[in-house]
Amino acid sequence: MATEVLADDRALRFGRRDRALAQMHAHDLDVLVLGRQANIRYVTGAPQLWVAGTRPFGPSCVLVRETGAIHLLSTWDEGVPDEIPHENLYGISWNPVHTIANLQKIDGAATARRVGSDALSPAFAQLLPMAFPHAELVDGEAAIRAARRIKTPDEVVAIRESVRVAEAGLAAAVAELRPDTSAHHLTAVLLETMTAGGVSSPARQDAVWVTSRDHPWRQVRGGDRLRPGDLVAFAPGVVAHGYIGEVGRTWPVGDAEGAAGLYARADALWERLAAACRPGAPTGDLLNAYRDAGEPLPPMPVAHGLGVGYDAPVVSPHLPLTAADETLEPGMVLAVTSYVWAEGVGAVLRREAVLIGDGGPEILTSSP
Amino acid sequence: MTTSASVLGLRDIPAEPDRGRMRRETGARLRAAMADRDIGALILLGNNAVTYATGTSWPLGDAGMSHVERPVAVVLADGEWPHLFLPFREGAAEESDLPADHIHPPVYLEFDEGVETFAQWISEVIPTGVPLAVDELTGAMRRAGTRLFPGGPPADAAPIVGAAKAIKTLDEIACIRKAVRITDEAMVDVQAALAPGIRQIDLSAEFLRRAFELGAVASMLEPIWQVMPDTKAGGVWTTHGDLALPLLSTERTLLAGDVLWTDVSITYGGYCSDFGRTWIVGREPTARQQAQFQRWRDVMQAALGVTRAGATAAELSRAATDANGGSRPWLPHFYLGHGIGVNAAEMPMIGTDLGDEFDANYVLEAGMVLVLEPVIWEDGTGGYRSEEVVVITEDGWMTLTDYPYAPYGD
Repeated sequence: MATEVLADDRALRFGRRDRALAQMHAHDLDVLVLGRQANIRYVTGAPQLWVAGTRPFGPSCVLVRETGAIHLLSTWDEGVPDEIPHENLYGISWNPVHTIANLQKIDGAATARRVGSDALSPAFAQLLPMAFPHAELVDGEAAIRAARRIKTPDEVVAIRESVRVAEAGLAAAVAELRPDTSAHHLTAVLLETMTAGGVSSPARQDAVWVTSRDHPWRQVRGGDRLRPGDLVAFAPGVVAHGYIGEVGRTWPVGDAEGAAGLYARADALWERLAAACRPGAPTGDLLNAYRDAGEPLPPMPVAHGLGVGYDAPVVSPHLPLTAADETLEPGMVLAVTSYVWAEGVGAVLRREAVLIGDGGPEILTSSP
Repeated sequence: MTTSASVLGLRDIPAEPDRGRMRRETGARLRAAMADRDIGALILLGNNAVTYATGTSWPLGDAGMSHVERPVAVVLADGEWPHLFLPFREGAAEESDLPADHIHPPVYLEFDEGVETFAQWISEVIPTGVPLAVDELTGAMRRAGTRLFPGGPPADAAPIVGAAKAIKTLDEIACIRKAVRITDEAMVDVQAALAPGIRQIDLSAEFLRRAFELGAVASMLEPIWQVMPDTKAGGVWTTHGDLALPLLSTERTLLAGDVLWTDVSITYGGYCSDFGRTWIVGREPTARQQAQFQRWRDVMQAALGVTRAGATAAELSRAATDANGGSRPWLPHFYLGHGIGVNAAEMPMIGTDLGDEFDANYVLEAGMVLVLEPVIWEDGTGGYRSEEVVVITEDGWMTLTDYPYAPYGD
């Protein structure tokens, strides 16, 4: 982080924008209307205020394929790159009539034939045709998701940095692990460290929890005090320069009886997961790794793409057909999760950031 | 009969919210709002709407993650309990009090396969012909079309949830008050650390550490410590020529005499706080700066002087504008004030570009919670902006904030 609010580097911006425009072409979209913060960052390179949670859809950024022009909802120009001139900025508005009037002024809006948006609300389904009177309104998220799926080399550099910030937070929290402290305190330390390191936008704020000895995935309720023998999961996530970095580790409080066997299971599972991270392999191999290791499928996705948000592929036990259809490709970056549980002991979570390279996986995380 | 703040005072707000009662009462409000609009079922994807409808609260994550891994709620007009499709929330602080048969595995509505699973469930639970409303349509939901919505395009759920949540129950107010108190207490330590040489980001780190230690569940926005320019013309370019706000915090080192406009928000039990004060780094205010604060106080007093159930939003803006010598004491892209609840800013909004007629027709009701945040500006002073959180009552208001105005006043 600098002492000024700066747009993302030029190579990063243009590399991403080229991918977005190529996908607009492939999906036959004349105009892309974006409301999701991650997509807007991807296309514009402009840092915007981080706010927790999803936001209702609103047309906050418009990309016109023919000209490459970007129009952005921003009342000020701080952090907005030069290729988005002042006349392409439209201010914050609470009145959809004003928002639509701003869109109507965009060159190409009146003549667009196919307009994609990354989400929609029933209200904007009624309003957007006023701004794009000759257009068919279709899904645009598929196009932007396809663009985001494969990372440019500059994006991989950015993700490495995000992972480093998450790992610094992890190390600071693990250093304070002892009986009678609390998961809440460790979360506070973790967030403080990541913020002091220059990043005040967490991807996850539920980063530390005591795993349950009685239930495969529920967290321990009540008290919040750590007891000797507890297995404590640390899974920080951070958004640095727009990119999500994640890592996951589990540490025992003192000696945890039975934990050695559980860690061995987690390691054996991890070996199979790492082996499944081959270019050309179906993403379903990551689900099969659990089966082959004799471990039940976990309650969370086994893997998800890391980028300006969660990217494709999302490999979840709840999406088996999707996983069977998708293939790992060079340039994907995944957060891969190994999760095992034993009654009376707790759970061991291990999450690594993995770059799929031409020759095989490169592990970007390096925490002990 | 729901508990409301209509004829009650501060002492009636419970110290600890009763979450079961809160969900029952907000559920009744939501179903009443559905009945008003003849909606038989609501499908809610937005994080805040799900929190409101189900009483489930969790530490909200980044939006880019939350679109994929998010809880989804389905509310039936004739069902006491909402249905909740819940992803594994690592470390989620609150488990739901919903019956087990109303808690379902996660649905992934960003994906065609996830929408097919969901559409199957909907077709089994909601009879065809029941009017539906939804707050967001993902690409996969749009592609599914009539398989998901056999009765035709759904109505918009946002106005229904908006109508229900405008008036808070006492337990909701208790959550907001608790969030506000955690925030105020954390800010005492942050303000104590304020000195020339500290970086903006150090203030953010201190705030997050203290707020989480004191029981905050999540930070709702990047903490803001905006250094105000000496003149409007010397500030960041804006579309309207007025001041920019909020600008992002960086590693910028703060200097003696810098005037900061601060803004932070956290949640407790799914409900937000809002905090805003103007601070000066390492200096006492000059006479001109003190006059800015006095003007702000006059404006706030004027606005609160007309604040009560039955007043219109327009009456508050008129009183505030009159006390500011005829010009509006807020920034053109914002408002004099806004509601607060599961969202850090929600309806009612006072003085926005929704226009004078909208404000003239918006009547405040007892149990609404308002954040008033007038802005005073004169070149050469750094201006003054602070925020107060108040509950509307039948005969006036009661404040939830109790944070001093140092270095300007007590």
